[in-house]
Amino acid sequence: MLDRRSALASAKPYTSSVLQIGEAHGFSLLQVAGLAKAISPITGKLPVKVGLAVTSEGRTLMRTGPNQFWIIGPEVDDIETKLPEIAIITPLSHSRTRIVIEGEPARNVLAKGVPLDFHHSAFKSGTFAMTGLHHTPVLVHCVGENRFEIYALRTFAVSVYEWLTDAALEFAR
Amino acid sequence: MTAFRRLDKGGRIDREKSVNFTYDGKSLGGFAGDTLASALLANGKTLTSRSFKYHRPRGIMSAGVEEPNGLFAINGNEPNIPATTVDLVEGLAAQSQNAWPSVDFDLMAVNSFAAPLFQTGFYYKTFMGPFKKSWMFYEPFIRRAAGIGKGSCEKDPDRYETAHEFCDVLVVGAGPAGLTTALVAGRSGARVVLVEQDLELGGQLLSETDRDFEMWRTTQVAELRSLANVTIRTRTTAQGLYDDNLVVLLQRHENHDAARGRPRQTLISLRSKAIIFATGAIERPLVFPNNDRPGVMLASALRTYLNRFAIVPLKRALIVTNNDTAYKTAFDLAEAGIAVTMADHRNVIPSDLLSRAAMLGMAMFPGTGIADVEGAKQVTRVQLAGNHSATIECDVLAMSGGWNPVVHLTSHSGIKPVYDDAIAAFVPGGYAKNHFGAGAVTGKFGFESVIKDGNAAGADAAKAAGFDKPATPVATIGAKDRAYKISPHWAPKTTGKGKAFVDFQSDVTVKDIRTAHDEGYVAVEHLKRYTTLGMGTDQGKTSNINAIGLMAELREMPISQAGTTTFRPPYTGLAVGAIAGRTVGLHFRPYRLSPLHDANKAHGATFIEAGLWMRAWYYAWAGSTPETAYIREMELVRNGVGIADISTLGKIDVQGPDAAEFLNRVYVNGFAKLPVGRARYGVMLSDDGVVLDDGTTTRIADIHYYTTTTTAQAGEVMSWFEYLLQTQWTDLKVHVTSLTDEWAGMAVSGPKSREALQLAFPDADVSNENLPYMGCLDVHLDGVRIRILRLSFSGELAYEVHVPAEYAGSLWEHVLKVAEPLGIRPYGLEALASLRIEKGHVAGLELDHRNTLDDLGLGKIAGKEKSYVGKELRFREALQAPDRWSLVGIELMEPDKKLRGGSILFSAGDEIKGHGRGYITSVTWSTELKKFIALGLYQGGLKHEGEDIICAFPLKNEQVKARIVSPHFIDREGARLNA
Repeated sequence: MLDRRSALASAKPYTSSVLQIGEAHGFSLLQVAGLAKAISPITGKLPVKVGLAVTSEGRTLMRTGPNQFWIIGPEVDDIETKLPEIAIITPLSHSRTRIVIEGEPARNVLAKGVPLDFHHSAFKSGTFAMTGLHHTPVLVHCVGENRFEIYALRTFAVSVYEWLTDAALEFAR
Repeated sequence: MTAFRRLDKGGRIDREKSVNFTYDGKSLGGFAGDTLASALLANGKTLTSRSFKYHRPRGIMSAGVEEPNGLFAINGNEPNIPATTVDLVEGLAAQSQNAWPSVDFDLMAVNSFAAPLFQTGFYYKTFMGPFKKSWMFYEPFIRRAAGIGKGSCEKDPDRYETAHEFCDVLVVGAGPAGLTTALVAGRSGARVVLVEQDLELGGQLLSETDRDFEMWRTTQVAELRSLANVTIRTRTTAQGLYDDNLVVLLQRHENHDAARGRPRQTLISLRSKAIIFATGAIERPLVFPNNDRPGVMLASALRTYLNRFAIVPLKRALIVTNNDTAYKTAFDLAEAGIAVTMADHRNVIPSDLLSRAAMLGMAMFPGTGIADVEGAKQVTRVQLAGNHSATIECDVLAMSGGWNPVVHLTSHSGIKPVYDDAIAAFVPGGYAKNHFGAGAVTGKFGFESVIKDGNAAGADAAKAAGFDKPATPVATIGAKDRAYKISPHWAPKTTGKGKAFVDFQSDVTVKDIRTAHDEGYVAVEHLKRYTTLGMGTDQGKTSNINAIGLMAELREMPISQAGTTTFRPPYTGLAVGAIAGRTVGLHFRPYRLSPLHDANKAHGATFIEAGLWMRAWYYAWAGSTPETAYIREMELVRNGVGIADISTLGKIDVQGPDAAEFLNRVYVNGFAKLPVGRARYGVMLSDDGVVLDDGTTTRIADIHYYTTTTTAQAGEVMSWFEYLLQTQWTDLKVHVTSLTDEWAGMAVSGPKSREALQLAFPDADVSNENLPYMGCLDVHLDGVRIRILRLSFSGELAYEVHVPAEYAGSLWEHVLKVAEPLGIRPYGLEALASLRIEKGHVAGLELDHRNTLDDLGLGKIAGKEKSYVGKELRFREALQAPDRWSLVGIELMEPDKKLRGGSILFSAGDEIKGHGRGYITSVTWSTELKKFIALGLYQGGLKHEGEDIICAFPLKNEQVKARIVSPHFIDREGARLNA
């Protein structure tokens, strides 16, 4: 029987009373290229600009390019079959490892590696950035006041995770 | 002998908190709030170091980052740290430098007697002969003898971090101007970062005694600390200013502890919408004979030691000045009961100063300077000259030659400082957009005017950052500013026997500068390099302007025409560790793990770094060393069936109505007519006509392709595709996405591979008819779509099985389990790379961005009619030359020897010398031919097939006989592939 195995299956768990770093495993990720007006009847209203994410029918919809979207849904999702044929669909569910970092120091930890403004007023919940962390491309999605989901390339996931837990060391309690 | 003592009360030190530290192994005590410098002075350590060239006795000269003399190795691992910048903490260990056996008794001081040898341009003049390459001979000896501190070879026990930060307004410096601007900007609502290199906020105010100043300071600091939008970073130095308002800050942390992840230093890249430079000014020394004796100090520093650290000269102080500010020091010292003598270069001294001096019982010598300073290891007597000739006994000699605004950061932006006659110093020559100056850096030294300007600069900066709401200005204390008057005095006309130092750290004297002038090195930049002036770790903070003044005098021109030096980052010494941050050890670079990494580990793989990847090199079942294991793994693939992890291959999803056209343009061979369900080998060129990469592309559907690249070029090919689509062929409707991480791959190879697949996928038809060579078949197992491509890198009947990455581990185990009766085992990178050599497939070692299609024997696959990237330049004359180094096979002719990768190839009759006629790119033991074989590039290529050659490996002094053969060592007809 084939089973899904996380890239972080054998990574050392991180524990701290002020900061959680771990994996949110089990999601589907579909990259869809096409015009929003063709796709939105199926997905729900799509974000108007790159860097914004919205939630619709249990899925997170991100605009990752002028005419490119990420649809992040539950591990098993049949939306691929419903999308119009004209859309260019690339399943990417296995390509990314979703690392969650949450806690008061989360923004400071991320600021050590990502050259973006992580101030509360600048990086708000519901926004994301396609950027770099530890020399690898990542998508960082702010999903709460101090909660971020980092979509790291699967093959770099252990390296990125280890970098994050190392950067978090000084905040450990 | 001592020149200083600590007062029983006063200062900002916390006498409740004693701090123990060691100096050259001896235990000493100080207080919290001390710097290492103040603690050393309080402990009577007047002589603290030896100078660079002459090993002259030196003492602490300043109280700040400008310190040229008092450099120490701290805690055994960081040399050249100015004692004036080190906070005294419990257990601190300071070690003196550049002296042996000790600073008190330094045998290297014999250098003083050899002083004529160390004249200006000494190295250039002395070590250039007698032969052309003499310098190369002398250099290692000189390098060993030179330098001040020594770095440790031990691993740095401390932790360093890097971080990014953003704000609206950055304020550099927290003196009166910095506090004012930060507060005004903060009140406007802007996000403000205030950085201060000291551990306390206040700048010069920390050395004042006036209670009004202290009230003002504490009020502003309290409000700043109360503002949530203001971040205050003390112990933080703005090291450099770069484009786009990027300022690099170095923060030194008080409580660092590597074990708990607490860094010693953090290097912060801060980007601010607006920047205010409130960097203040540094006092400059006066130049007179023996002005470097321990106990000679900047006047402002002496005042800081008195008022901030409660340290005074033992009994008597002499102060020499050319401006009014030194009188503050004089008056404070006199009030503390120290006998003060004042020598002022100016004939006319403001009357209020004279009357105050008289009231305090000070001896005054107007129109008088210093002729000489006596005292072997500390100042004992000073000879005055000028209007008055006298010999004054004193413990400390304080000097003030005026004030240099700290224009370093503004200069980093490329704006040259300009000379301001009124203050006899350089000020910023302007500001870049959204940059502002405030306070002493602008040449204004009065408190009231600084606050007034600070209010304006703070509001302007906030406005520039988008906060135009007028904020309440910061209140002044209503004092009256005293006009700053200076009569510059650059150097004495004659210096007699005594050395008059301009640059204390680099041991550059007035005489050296005169020599440079006489020899024609008159431009400031030449002067600097010829004399080494300003090239020490202090970067000439106390010396540059005096040197420029002196050179201008010698050239008989105004200073404004003599020029200035270029200030470059970093402003103060910067540990390499801080630049590296956490880019050390495990985190030196990211590493990449195959989706099969855990499975490989479970099957006994030994891993090897290949680029960023950790790849399975060989497996335990085949042996314990790579030399033996790969041969067993090769034999397994040639005779049975093996499985290899090929997940590292680049994989690209190419979709869209114009996908066929796109691929047809990037590959040299045709892809437009590739049928659905079929794969094709393809080669692509860079636009210069040189081979970029090879791989296969499979047509999944009419407008959908699956492209694989080599592991090494995966990123480059992906970028190339995106570049072409986004800039060159914007009309093509094609989307490309990397699938390298989405899909894992495994090669199932060997004569029994079809049987293995049949066992693994019992519902699929993998027969030769249904899945021929270069065919593609999507199958399903447990509902998971798996893509089987019949491709072969090894030359055997083989398949690539591609599967979504998270299923890879369990599929790998499944295949190994169900095909166990066939004897299937995993094989690693070493065997993978060796099998392809036997087959004559080129890989990364041959695709090295220098070879053409023809060089690699691939010219025939290029389409003649169609156009493709690189086609035109491929036919350049040089790329078509008949004697180009081209791909050949090489067979070893001496069975008891071995071939080595990188060997240089010679024709049998050649003299073994130089670069030869080619080299070996890849080498392996051939399990089929039972001999060493290799691929290589050889001048003229296969025209020489059958000829004998010599493979030379100079590193081991080996030469072996070999023969040029076809690179296809096995199965030239492809019977195995098509089986």
